[in-house]
This record gives sequence, structure tokens and C-alpha cells, in this order.
Amino acid sequence: MEFLHLFSAAQFANSLALASLLTILASGLALIFGLRDVMNFAHGALFMLGAYVGYTVSTLLDFWAALAIVPVLLGLLGAALEYATIRPLRKRSQMDVALVTFGLALMLSQAVIKIWGAAPLAVGAPPSLAGSTDLFGEPYPTYRLFLIATGFGVCIVLALWLRYTRTGLHVRAVSQYPAVARILGVDTDRLGLLVVCMGTGLAGLAGVLAGPYLSVDPALGASILINCLIVVVVGGLGSIGGAIAAAVVFGLIEVFGSLLSPTLAVTAPYLLLFFVLLWRPQGFGRGRVG
Amino acid sequence: MEALQGIAAASPSKPRSRRTGPADLFRTLAIGAVMILVGLLAPKAVPSSYYLGLLVNAAVLGISAVSIGFLAHQSGLMMFGAAAFTGGATYLYAIAITQFGWNVMAASAFTLLASTLLSAAIGALIVRARPLPFAMLTLALAQMLRSFVLITDFRPITGGDDGLPLSFEGAFFGFSQAQLSRPEGFWPVAWLSLCGVMALAWAVGKSPTGQALRAIKANEERMRFSGFDTYGPRVLAFTLASFMASLAGLLTGLYTAFASPELLDFSTGGNALVSTLIGGVGTVGGPALGALLYVIGQDRFGATGNLEFLTGLGVVLVIYVFPDGIMGFIRAGAAKLSGREASGRSEGENASR
Repeated sequence: MEFLHLFSAAQFANSLALASLLTILASGLALIFGLRDVMNFAHGALFMLGAYVGYTVSTLLDFWAALAIVPVLLGLLGAALEYATIRPLRKRSQMDVALVTFGLALMLSQAVIKIWGAAPLAVGAPPSLAGSTDLFGEPYPTYRLFLIATGFGVCIVLALWLRYTRTGLHVRAVSQYPAVARILGVDTDRLGLLVVCMGTGLAGLAGVLAGPYLSVDPALGASILINCLIVVVVGGLGSIGGAIAAAVVFGLIEVFGSLLSPTLAVTAPYLLLFFVLLWRPQGFGRGRVG
Repeated sequence: MEALQGIAAASPSKPRSRRTGPADLFRTLAIGAVMILVGLLAPKAVPSSYYLGLLVNAAVLGISAVSIGFLAHQSGLMMFGAAAFTGGATYLYAIAITQFGWNVMAASAFTLLASTLLSAAIGALIVRARPLPFAMLTLALAQMLRSFVLITDFRPITGGDDGLPLSFEGAFFGFSQAQLSRPEGFWPVAWLSLCGVMALAWAVGKSPTGQALRAIKANEERMRFSGFDTYGPRVLAFTLASFMASLAGLLTGLYTAFASPELLDFSTGGNALVSTLIGGVGTVGGPALGALLYVIGQDRFGATGNLEFLTGLGVVLVIYVFPDGIMGFIRAGAAKLSGREASGRSEGENASR
């Protein structure tokens, strides 16, 4: 009975809250990888930057303003990343570019500490979402429900965009067969710029959303980056649908694992990665093998 | 400075010339012997114990970097989580000392043997992965070990986040613990290990196995069609690389007499990875040179209080400016000076796809 009791609606919602954050981040990472062949190690740092900028904007204006402004700012940063890093280093190996983004992540995280300090900052949920909602007879923080809805909403919009628009079709084409797509006249540079901006913008959005859910501190980026990489690789490199599925599995494992056995929980994500990569190297989705 | 010149001299200067006649071999051996001797005399030339300490750190980091560079050059696989093998070895050593109560020689032998066997088993599973998934797998391995040692249930064995202080009885090749904990005492051990690892990496690179490995890296399918075993050599290369990395981990345990969870951090593996890329993977000496530059850089940057920022900036600039690492740049420059075309370039490229 004790065992069954653990699987409450609240715990399920908790795993979805974690998963929704991861899906936003992982789909950005997967998009950038699919289009640009770049494993963006700065993604965690961009997420953290988004959380900090979100903190400042929410204290100056309000949370909703932050939710609108920060993704745009981070998207502009993405354009800088595209022009300053990805394009000049196009001819270089994946590892070189990955290492450059790793270096940028180091710079970014120290810059954040210089500006906002190393102490964790608390961001309050907006007043309309601060309370709790009745979830199958249990009170549950409203903000987390909002987080789940927004996270998966964004991912569904993204998936629809990829599935049903012409640009989305081009993005999928370039992710699968870059050379063929170029021959058929798809402008990969324009598309790459768009997708990198979207990816970093999504990292910013995830940062703002994470503010009231997690506390904002400089270690935020590094810890979520590894999880995000696992989700992207497990989901299939460059595949959005796979990344969403992997994030949900990851969230479930993380939350229920820590209830069943903390020992299991810390190793479970890595075991998941090992099994998926050894058994099905292309991951859940239909992405390319890296 | 001697160490730097020694490293530069030791790398095979002309990888394209395959004429390894007896005269060539003799010259290489002579250069190697001179390098070892010069290196052993380094404490006389280094003004203070502080700088010798930096050299010791550079040598230990150099061993990990050589191991990453070896695998990257021979197999095209990048170990993102070298910390799993270095830190894992330190923990094995610490556990052998504190839990089993073994003396230092037995514990050291156990560490190298156990981690080599374990990595052979891991290698058998993961060398089939493509370069990027491979990098992620090793990274995940390091992270997993890190969360493992932090588990509260294992605290009596691993020390949790306090780490494991360890003091050994007896002597390590005639050195007592007090001697090994000083840079002067530890330098010969670190230097000879680094030379040994570089010689091993160089010899394997020159051997038929090394040639087969690079051919597999270039086109695995073709090698398989030609009747070569493409799996065994890669497992061997991975096992050798992890052996080198675990030697670095063992040395860390011997020198610092402490095993901490930070040894398994991504950033610790990152130090070695960055050193490797700064130096360039095309040669055996490149990663070692990279490690020396990295340690010096960390020391200088640390003094300014912006360590991470400057490290990140350094990494970005070096990768932009020196596509084949500093060593590739030096070799290209040397080749240009001696009127030859830069032959190191094609060799030094680390195409990872």
C-alpha cells in the first residue's frame, strides 16, 4: 500500500513540472543541434542568464513583462552567438565548436556572478498564480500547474510549427539531410539564424519560468545542462518529438525515483542514457545519429 | 622552461616521414633520454617550491591530457568525462588504503589493475558509439560516479561531500608519505610517469595497431571490408587511454593524500580536455604542453580573481586562433622556417565525425 500511495497526482504533477522545464530547454538545444550541428554547452548558462534577467525585470516591472521581454533579449544574444561563433567556425570540428560554447558558458556564469552576486535569489510567483489549486483533492501550487501548461504548450506550438509550416518543413529537411536541403534551395544560413535565436530565446523563457519554481542561483546552469544533454541524446539528436518524450520520461524517473530510492534516483538518468545509447543509438525519435 | 623545451623536443617532429630506420629510432631514444634527465634536474632550476608545485600539477594534468589526446588522435573519440577515470582511480586508491588497510604499493597496484579492467569492460560497451554519443556517455559516467560518492548511504566508504583524507603506511618506491607530499619529493614520480605515458602513447601511435586505429578512424567500413578487426583495436585504445588517466588519478591520490568529489566534477575533466585542445591532439607532446600552459594560465588568472572568466576567454581565443592547438602552430611555423610545407596540418586535424 505504501508503494502505491507514492503515485499520487501531486507527484505526477511534480514530474511534469520538471519535465516541462526540460522540454523547453531540450527542444532549443535539439533545434540548434539539428540545424547547426553544434552541441551548445552554453545552453545551461543562457538558461541561468535568463533566470537572472527575469529576476531583474520582474522586480522592476512584473513577471508577465519578464516573460515577454527576456526571451527576446536572449534571442538577440542568440543572433550574436550565430554571427560570432557558429558561422566563423563552420569548417571546424563539432568538438571545437562545443568547446568554444563551453568557454562562453564559463565567461557567462562568472559575468552573472559579478553582476548579481553569488547568493541565491528568490523570485515570487505573480499574485494571480501564487496560491494553490485543488488537484484531485490535494492542494497543489498553482504556479507549477501554470509551468506545466506553458511548458508543454510551447512545445506543442513548436511541434505544430515544425509539422505544418513551410519554414518548419525546411527546418526538418535541413536537420535530416543538410546537403540535400541546400541543393533543393533551402537557405540554411537564414534558417540557422532563426533557429539559433529561437533556441536561445527558449532558454530565456525557461529561465524566467524557472525563477519562481527553483531558486535563482549561479549553479543553476551547470546542473540543468547535464540533464538537458541527457534528454537531447536520449530523445535522439536533433529530434524535437523525441526530446519531449525523453524529458517526460526523465521527469518521471527523477521524481518517482527519489521517492522510491534516493540511491536509484541519482544514477537512474545516467543508466537511462547508457541503455538508450547502447540499445537504440538513434534515441527515441527519428533524429540523426551524431 | 626546460620542461617546456623537453616536451617540444620529444614529440615526433615529422609524422609524415615513415622511415623509422635504426638511426631515427636511436635519435628519438637519445632525445627521450636527454628529456628525462633534464626534467629530473628541473627542481634545481625552478626558484621556489611554489613553482615546482605548479610543474607537478602540470605533469599530472598532462598525463590526463595525453590520454585524452591519444584517444582523440588515434580513434577520433573525445573523452568528455576523463574525470570518471582520473577521479575514479583516486577513489579506488583511497578505498584500498582506508577500507582494505593495504599498504601503498598494494593499493597502487590494485588501483591501476582494477581501473584498467573496469575500463576495458566499459570500453567494450561504449566504443561502438559515434563520437558525440561517446563523449556524452563518458560525461555521464563521470557524473554518475560523482553522484554515487555523494550518496548518504555510502558515506562511511566514500566520505560523502567531505571527501576521504588518506595517509599511507610504508613507502612508495622508497618514498615516504611526507616526502611525496612535497613538490620536490613528488616531482620525479610525476615527471617519470608523464614521460612513460608519453612514450607509451608515442610507441602505440607508431605501431601497426596505431596505424590500423587511424585507418579505422578515417573509414571504419572500409577497414572492416578489408578484413581488419575494427572493434578490438578501439577497445584496446580506450583501455590504454583510461589506464593513462587512472595513472593520473593515482598520482593525485599519492600527492594530495585526499580524494574529494570535486575530482569527479565536469570541470575537472574539463581542465584536461581544455589542456588537450590548447596543445593540440596531433602529437604526444601537444597535450602535455597544453597542460603546462593551462596550469600557468590558471595560476595567473586566479591571481586576478576572474579565474573562470579568463579561462573561458582563453579557451575561446585559443580555439579561434590555433585550429591545431599551440603545438600544431609551432610545428607549422617550424616547417615553414625549414622551408617545407606544413605537413603537420593534415595529421593534426581532429575531425570528429
